[in-house]
Amino acid sequence: MDRGKIRKLECKARWVRKKVLEMAVKAGAGHVAPAFSCTEIITALHYDNIMNFDPKNPEWPDRDRFILSKGQAAIALYAVLADLGFFPVDELMTFTCDGSRLGGHTEDTIPGVEAFTGSLGHGLSIGAGLALAAKMDDKKYISFVLMGDGECHEGSVWEAAMFSAQHKLNNLIVIIDHNGLSATDCLENYLEVEPLNKKWEAFGWETVIVDGHSFNDLCSVLSKDSCSRFSKPLVIIALTTKGKGVSFMENSPIWHYRIPVGEELVIAQKELSCEK
Amino acid sequence: MMQWVQGMRDSFFTSLFSIAKDDKRVILITSDTGAICHDRFRDELKDQYINVGIAEQNMIGVAAGLAMAGKIVYVYAIIPFATMRCYEQIRVDLCCMNLPVTVVGVGVGFDYSTLGPTHHGIEDISLMRSLPEMKIYSPADSFMAEELAKLSYEEKGPKYIRLDRVGSPLVYKNKKEIDFSKGFNVVREGKDLYIIATGRMVFNALNVAELLADLSIDTGVIDLFKIKPFNKNMLWDVIKDVGHVVTLEEHFIIGGIGELVGGLLLNRRKPVEFRAIGIPHAFCRSYGTRDYLYRINGIDKHSMVETINKWIKTEKKFL
Repeated sequence: MDRGKIRKLECKARWVRKKVLEMAVKAGAGHVAPAFSCTEIITALHYDNIMNFDPKNPEWPDRDRFILSKGQAAIALYAVLADLGFFPVDELMTFTCDGSRLGGHTEDTIPGVEAFTGSLGHGLSIGAGLALAAKMDDKKYISFVLMGDGECHEGSVWEAAMFSAQHKLNNLIVIIDHNGLSATDCLENYLEVEPLNKKWEAFGWETVIVDGHSFNDLCSVLSKDSCSRFSKPLVIIALTTKGKGVSFMENSPIWHYRIPVGEELVIAQKELSCEK
Repeated sequence: MMQWVQGMRDSFFTSLFSIAKDDKRVILITSDTGAICHDRFRDELKDQYINVGIAEQNMIGVAAGLAMAGKIVYVYAIIPFATMRCYEQIRVDLCCMNLPVTVVGVGVGFDYSTLGPTHHGIEDISLMRSLPEMKIYSPADSFMAEELAKLSYEEKGPKYIRLDRVGSPLVYKNKKEIDFSKGFNVVREGKDLYIIATGRMVFNALNVAELLADLSIDTGVIDLFKIKPFNKNMLWDVIKDVGHVVTLEEHFIIGGIGELVGGLLLNRRKPVEFRAIGIPHAFCRSYGTRDYLYRINGIDKHSMVETINKWIKTEKKFL
């Protein structure tokens, strides 16, 4: 992949992380580490011409659909949507403040947001319904669903996985933000999800494992051609680091819903500015 | 003479089939719950019929996705599975997003009288009443069920319709008798007492009213078929002068129409004597016919006449 293009995407991801931190600190709320885990995934989808959308016409019927099933990463998606022009960037600083429409989980009433999420295990079924509707109506749009790996604990995920394979929804792409942590602990310590790829394969899905922080990996696998290559739905297992970009947050369960303060904040800001 | 026709479920889906034939946006999803009336959907409208398997959570999510893409979706299962198993999906995917999906539950109350508590539909009104945006319809007979298919097709937002599975006695002589504008119908006028009933209990209430008339209690019957939103002001206008009001439901009183009407009466200055009759708050672990379960739970017509008569006669001052 073109090195200049990758650098631009990396620069955008750095901006998203810094904006997320700024929003969270101002609000005293927000899931920073979960957002940092999937920053490259959301950035790649929205800035590399992978998805078709029009910020001036969010309801454009032929747009590709993006369902943020791990709705706690709303803070990162909101930063991206504002930057793309779906709503003013200034509004980001109202995040979770009194009277703001930007809350801690994604709401479908926000321009550019497809589905109301925040409760885990819902997004895949919704994405499957959208993909099925596209097939019924002979539409070309793709449904992208971003899920967490802990979310795969939900039984509803597997109901939807079976359904999607049964209906050969090759216009459905799931990306699993596989950082190995949930809200309280490492998954392996209390409910292991591995071998994740084999589980999805057994459910009739095409599977690909990528580095979830590498734009080179993400952009090559997230192209529209990915869909046409397969007759099955595709799951991309993106290996990620929770809290990516801030050393003391990385792989540390306590940062699931903590906001850095004092010296922590100084270090976090410094590390995000220096990110290569 | 009691007139019986095809069941509510058959009437509803026959009507829906006619609509779906002319509108490809109409999709019927079932979670492997069968009905002969679904066969035509499966055979003649196969692109509009989906069996998602025994997976109600996914059924609601898929319905939401389809509705977001412009489809008008109906999901169908036995009441506990259509409402409870996927309750949070209904709350978030349908109600939070206010999507045009109709949840059709079959097996009101003790309809599945031989299958035990897992299949009894006795908490569904309570659950659905809690949800913002959700509308609730509880038809009294097949004519109404047939008309509700049309109404639900035209109305926006999420709806819940509870249906009987098999043949039910008719309350209405024809469709023209049903006035959908108020959300309830006065099916029998009364001067001493009104029984407000829903679903199959409307027919029971008419029988009770006949028997109470023999005891000199002039009893009216109201079919409350639209439970949410509830037209409390117009209903109050009907019942405010009778002195006694009874609600009757094949459902727990908790969260049911008993509490609904009770809440209405609490907020009025004029006192009205009130009694809620429904299924006692316990799982019914007995088996038999639906009528047998009515009898042992005190919601058969003779138990109700006895209950109401005893209650009224101790409150003679109101008569």
